[in-house]
Amino acid sequence: MNNELLKQQIIEALNLEDLTPEDINDDAPLFGEGLGLDSIDALELFMLLDKQYGIKLQNKEEGKQVFRSVNTMAEYIEQHRTK
Amino acid sequence: MRIVVTGAGIVSALGVGKESHVHALLNEQSGITAPCQLQTNNPLPVGEVKASNDELKSLLHIKQKEVISRTSLLGITAAREALEESAITDTAQMAFISGTTVGGMDYTESHWVKKEHFFRDIVQTHSAGSTTEQTAAHIGTFAYTATLSTACSSALNAIITACNMLRCGNVKQVLAGGAESLSLFHYNGFRSLQILSAEQCRPFSGDRQGLNLGEGAAYIILESEESALQRGAHIIAYISGYGNACDAYHQTASSDTGEGAYLAMKKALQMAGVTTTAVDYVNAHGTATQNNDSSEATALQRLFNNGETLLFSSTKGYTGHATSAAGSIELVISMLAMQHGFVPANIGWRLPIPNTPKPTLHTLNKTLNVVLCNSFGFGGNDSSILITKSPTNKELTEENDITIEELSCVEVLSDADWKQFISPMVGRRLTTQMRCLLIAAKQAMTQNRISQPDAVITGTDWGCIHNTTALLNQLTEEGEDSMSPTLFMQSTHNTPSSLIAIQTANHGYNATYSHGKDSFSQALLDARMQLKLGLIQSALVLGFEEPDETWQQLTTQANTPYQPLAKAVILQCHA
Repeated sequence: MNNELLKQQIIEALNLEDLTPEDINDDAPLFGEGLGLDSIDALELFMLLDKQYGIKLQNKEEGKQVFRSVNTMAEYIEQHRTK
Repeated sequence: MRIVVTGAGIVSALGVGKESHVHALLNEQSGITAPCQLQTNNPLPVGEVKASNDELKSLLHIKQKEVISRTSLLGITAAREALEESAITDTAQMAFISGTTVGGMDYTESHWVKKEHFFRDIVQTHSAGSTTEQTAAHIGTFAYTATLSTACSSALNAIITACNMLRCGNVKQVLAGGAESLSLFHYNGFRSLQILSAEQCRPFSGDRQGLNLGEGAAYIILESEESALQRGAHIIAYISGYGNACDAYHQTASSDTGEGAYLAMKKALQMAGVTTTAVDYVNAHGTATQNNDSSEATALQRLFNNGETLLFSSTKGYTGHATSAAGSIELVISMLAMQHGFVPANIGWRLPIPNTPKPTLHTLNKTLNVVLCNSFGFGGNDSSILITKSPTNKELTEENDITIEELSCVEVLSDADWKQFISPMVGRRLTTQMRCLLIAAKQAMTQNRISQPDAVITGTDWGCIHNTTALLNQLTEEGEDSMSPTLFMQSTHNTPSSLIAIQTANHGYNATYSHGKDSFSQALLDARMQLKLGLIQSALVLGFEEPDETWQQLTTQANTPYQPLAKAVILQCHA
């Protein structure tokens, strides 16, 4: 899984136009004190996983685990992608 | 003066008419089922009106070939019942004020793929205001028609405006309420927000999993007590107080403290001169989402001395959440409960929410003299109406002879320098025109040194049409799972008005009018009425139309082109 590609997809999906992939740390939390994303961003990440990787997460709790950081997302995608 | 209700009509998942509602409520029979009319690939329980559009047309004696939205068909059904009960035969001197958000979306979405062919009908039936006009066309001629669109509180806000019109003496009688039909557009939009329940909803239950969408309409006839007595009309209830406040927290979430809900309820009680201990029952908004119910319960606890002795319930376990029609549907249910002497059961409830009072679980026989009805919408547009069986000691004030000043108007044409006014994390989600409007609002407030106007009122014909067309494209090209939650939460007509309240921490009155070319003048009229009634001292009035290539093309083809607009005006009482 290419972390740089995933970061680019996150930036596009969440309209973080002022950021570049280099601004996002692989291990930093995406929510809360990290990038400052909110619950609507989490919903957009659900859509991103579905559209780009054919992954349908079950619920928000699962989302919280998967969306902890770019690394956790990349790891999950690697294991569960259907496209 | 005193305002009374002399007629009511209702249609929802519980059936057509008041009788079917009383029967279902007394027998605790829910109207929630699997979808039959809504053609979705992802069926979740809904509160559907159990009749197709063709069946509704037959019932209403409307020609099958007429192009008319389901929202209007439901509206006509309820409006006719209300008028019949009031025994009013001539509507020519009346106003008709309706609330809707979905409007004619059912027609738009089913013809979107061939929009170039159906452009005329799409443009004519899509808007909130056209739904009101189409409803009016089948029930009578009215002196004035207006449309409120504040998402899920639209119907209560339509009734609030109706009361203000009566108090200002603009008309003698008003037909007011709301109508909304299910559409794939908002059904899948709510799905994208992950707040729809896979089972029958469980309001105020510790194990609630989200809401069931519903549909329907309810309208009431409002007039002065004097007018009702003069014509010998039967008085069903008094509208003794009402309040509208903005939570000013988030487009789709309510604050933990329930500030907007608390303020709306408090205003309603204050206007009526009624103490919290006098309230016999609260018909709560209670959508059964995690967020709404905990926030609303907190607001109830704050206002009602921890809520331990308060009787309250949500009736959404019966009807589902009929969004823009929910307010009037539940107000009519509250009136029926008052007339028949019972507290409706909060069906679906299973487990307590820790440290939260329990709703009324089974139909309870009780004389109800004072009932409060809540309705909250996206953007924190929260409203509450207090009805009483007899007049309260405090009469509603009538208009004062004051001078209203219209301060400088700010129009913004470009958002090039938006980062000077808006934080990047907020601005990233907004369309160009939303940024322009936010800049206009901030500049108007700064220029006139008014940091917190008492009201924020917007007029918009097409609402957030840019996000709407993007969502329609997603829905029709990529399917039901593809709708963006960010776009959806910013697709309701009240998005601009609540955006401004959220960004300026304004908890005052907040409303949006969507009635064709009259939208802005209706917003201005609302502000003027409230200034004259002494309900507010200042108002920020906004005009909003969004550029959108597809929509501009369709409206131009239909010979009704429109101009993009982002303007802000401040009105205040002359000192």
